[in-house]
Amino acid sequence: MPQNEHIELHQKRYGYRLDHHERKRKKEARAAKERSRKARRLIGLPGKLYAQKLHKEKILMKKTIAMHEEKDKKRRLDDGQPQNAVPAYLLERDQADRAKVLSNTIKQKRKEKAGKWEVPLPKVRPISEQEMFSVIHTGKRRKKQWKRMITKVTFVGPSFTRKPPKYERFIQPTGLRMKKAHVTHPELQATFCLDIIGIKKNPNGPMYTSLGVVTKGTIIEVNVSELGLVTPGGKVVWGKYAQVTNNPENDGCINAVLLV
Amino acid sequence: MPLYNFKQMHVVPSAAAFIDIVLSRTQRQTPTVCRSGWKISRVRQFYMRKVKHTQQTWHEALTQILEDFPRVDDIHPFYGDLLNVLYDKDHYKLALGQLNVARSLIDKLAQDYIRLLKYGDSLYRCKCLKRAALGRMVTLMKRQAASLKYLEQVRQHMSRLPSVDPNVRTLLMCGYPNVGKSSFMNLVTRADVEVEPYAFTTKSLYVGHMDYRYLRWQVIDTPGLLDRPLEDRNTIEMQSITALAHLRAAILYIVDISEECGYSIAQQAALFHSIKPLFVNKPVLIVCNKIDVTSMESLGEKDQKILTEMAKEAGRLGLSGAFLEHSADGYKGSLLSMTTLKEDGVMAVRNTACDQLLEHRVEAKMKGKRFGDVLNRIRVAMPNSGINPDRPPVIPSSVTQAQAMDEDNQKKTEKDLQEERGGAGVYSADFHKHYLLENDSWKYDIMPEIWDGHNIIDFVDADIDAKLEELQQEEEELLAKFERQRAQFGGIPELTAEERSLLEDIRARKAKIIADHRRAKAVADNRGVIPKKHNTDGSLNTSGMRRSLERMGMDPSLAVERARRQSRGRSADRSRNASSRAAGAEDEEMEDVPEAMKRVHSTKSRSMSRGRSLSLMAPKKGSGLKDVAIKNKALKMADRAQRRMNKLARRGEADRHIPCLRPKHLLTGTRGIGKNQRR
Repeated sequence: MPQNEHIELHQKRYGYRLDHHERKRKKEARAAKERSRKARRLIGLPGKLYAQKLHKEKILMKKTIAMHEEKDKKRRLDDGQPQNAVPAYLLERDQADRAKVLSNTIKQKRKEKAGKWEVPLPKVRPISEQEMFSVIHTGKRRKKQWKRMITKVTFVGPSFTRKPPKYERFIQPTGLRMKKAHVTHPELQATFCLDIIGIKKNPNGPMYTSLGVVTKGTIIEVNVSELGLVTPGGKVVWGKYAQVTNNPENDGCINAVLLV
Repeated sequence: MPLYNFKQMHVVPSAAAFIDIVLSRTQRQTPTVCRSGWKISRVRQFYMRKVKHTQQTWHEALTQILEDFPRVDDIHPFYGDLLNVLYDKDHYKLALGQLNVARSLIDKLAQDYIRLLKYGDSLYRCKCLKRAALGRMVTLMKRQAASLKYLEQVRQHMSRLPSVDPNVRTLLMCGYPNVGKSSFMNLVTRADVEVEPYAFTTKSLYVGHMDYRYLRWQVIDTPGLLDRPLEDRNTIEMQSITALAHLRAAILYIVDISEECGYSIAQQAALFHSIKPLFVNKPVLIVCNKIDVTSMESLGEKDQKILTEMAKEAGRLGLSGAFLEHSADGYKGSLLSMTTLKEDGVMAVRNTACDQLLEHRVEAKMKGKRFGDVLNRIRVAMPNSGINPDRPPVIPSSVTQAQAMDEDNQKKTEKDLQEERGGAGVYSADFHKHYLLENDSWKYDIMPEIWDGHNIIDFVDADIDAKLEELQQEEEELLAKFERQRAQFGGIPELTAEERSLLEDIRARKAKIIADHRRAKAVADNRGVIPKKHNTDGSLNTSGMRRSLERMGMDPSLAVERARRQSRGRSADRSRNASSRAAGAEDEEMEDVPEAMKRVHSTKSRSMSRGRSLSLMAPKKGSGLKDVAIKNKALKMADRAQRRMNKLARRGEADRHIPCLRPKHLLTGTRGIGKNQRR
């Protein structure tokens, strides 16, 4: 019964086939031709995927080559580094560039002031009522048409209660309610799944804002206490605004960018 | 059938391959065409099916993997520990756990998206949702790439593990590296384990099987052990420890007394004492190997003492008194020696170990609870002592007497004769001697079997003599009858000389005709047609005919004339007739020939036999043409006008014209049983 490394043992005892190495060499030599033939022959989606694969390989190879070449390149010394040898007692000290820090804060303040109303998605596609609502036929003969169902994703607060059906003009279906959003911090380039606190503004109109409709471009307020952001004053920030960047009703999730 | 078969686990695909498999299966097994004109419920259902199918496929594939891999806690502790040693139990469990989580996440995700799809109000939205769902499933599985890769490696290694059955009769070898464990294994079983003159040749457990006392035995070869604390042992040694700890086997502790392995006997004894807790309650044998190099007797007293101590300890550990624990020579049962090089004492070691283990197992069983229950039901029946225990075969006295008689005056067979006269080769047996024939002198007659290509036996007839006699009688009768006739008619009349010569002629001619015919027949159709002028013997021309007719005594003149007349050519005949007609109208032979018609034209002219042509006919009255010339001119003009048209072969009004090739009323509508033209 073959057990453990029986293949290696066999090779050790009886060696390879006489033409093993020859065949291997030939196969390797042929590999490039096979690849190019495949690249030429494949069409349609397989062709596209294969081309993508080759492209990736090529990029990887170029990067590796560049990495190896970098060793030979001459680089200028970093500006921040001290030019001469530093005595041991000064090693720990960071040379904090005061002036630079100051200018940074000023810049940020200016930026905040200027970009108070500046958002990542300044323009949104207007959404018609027809698209937003679907008409629901009510009444015994199904001929009353005053009821509407919202076809987009909505957010309702935790204490939300529906109106009695007789007076409920707009229905927010439970299947389309969402509580969480994937929020990207633009500077950290990291994404977090955060609770939504409320809808700040829907660009399509105040009615949608009050209904809690979430469409692309909507400004939502998210709970960032998990992120541990701190105000300059030292308080923990827990609510922050974010703008929705996708069509939640198409993607099944809310993606947003934090407004900082 | 081994208890644990790790060879049949399915391949764990890599993450990329896994994704390809699942997505392509979805593409193949669900409908692919969706139209925007469909009812929205149908569109929703179409995409929901895709999401659900993908989720199911993932679920099935992941479940397959999770079920294939054994749970470390559920299997036999030997395998549990082995897996821990080889693959790290934590890592193993973590990988499987992650797959489990991925599976449940995918299930949940599919549920969410199917709920969202129920609100899809357009094909585009449904499609986007499906795309998002599949994408998120794929992303989830992409994160499992490392686990999948690890599990595939584990699977490959597990499939190569020897299939050890932890419950059967087992011999287990252990000892320092290079003491001869694998050589013993190779001698005892057919397992072809690698044996090399360096330490740690065997890097994992090996299993071989053998038969002893009609039972099947499992022999396990373990990697060598070094004398160091358990924490310091490496993976290779830990495998041995696992086997020693969990398998209830007869243990052969192999000691290299020649110390060629690089460890002294004292060191080997130290190892034995340090791992002896693993040997408790198992039959243990101390086997001294390589006695071809150093014999047991030539060992120093100190070493002898060490070995005896080990053996005593082994006896004490192993068995509860079965092997003379208390006697002074008790250790001798568990101290054995052998040489795997010269194959000396190997079988003795094997047999001792097997016997001890068997006894041990039986004893263990006897101690068990269930033994009593079984024993109650067993009864061994012994035959009643009243019956004579030895019952010889009954032979009648007459038969024995006859046998005795036979022995006295036995018939001499050819074989006996052969033995008497010098054995085979010198004397050849006489097969003819005892033939039963009418006449004894026939015994040695030569009888051919084949005669002229015929098998004689085919033609042997039992009553051939009677038939022959009958035939002879018949012939005699015929002869007598002939004689009688001859006497009656007075014999055959004599021929004259002339008659005789004629007869000869006739016969010669007959012979010639036959020969000619045969010659002609032989060549048959291949024969070429020979022209008459080459007919050299003249048999085909008139002179030949004349000759032959004359010879037969007939007058040939009329026949010759007739033949000549018939063979004349046509022209000659005509010319002769014409000339004769011209020369002599007064010929009396021609009197009955009617008067020739008056010649109007030459004989060549055909104008008399031909009908009058169109051009000679006078124009019809009222046609507007004055006379024949005008009419002919008109005809010509019409011809010329038509000529070009005819050359181009255009369709003209004279051609056959079908106004409608496919009449609608005959070809539209559904057809019933009736005919087309009845519609």
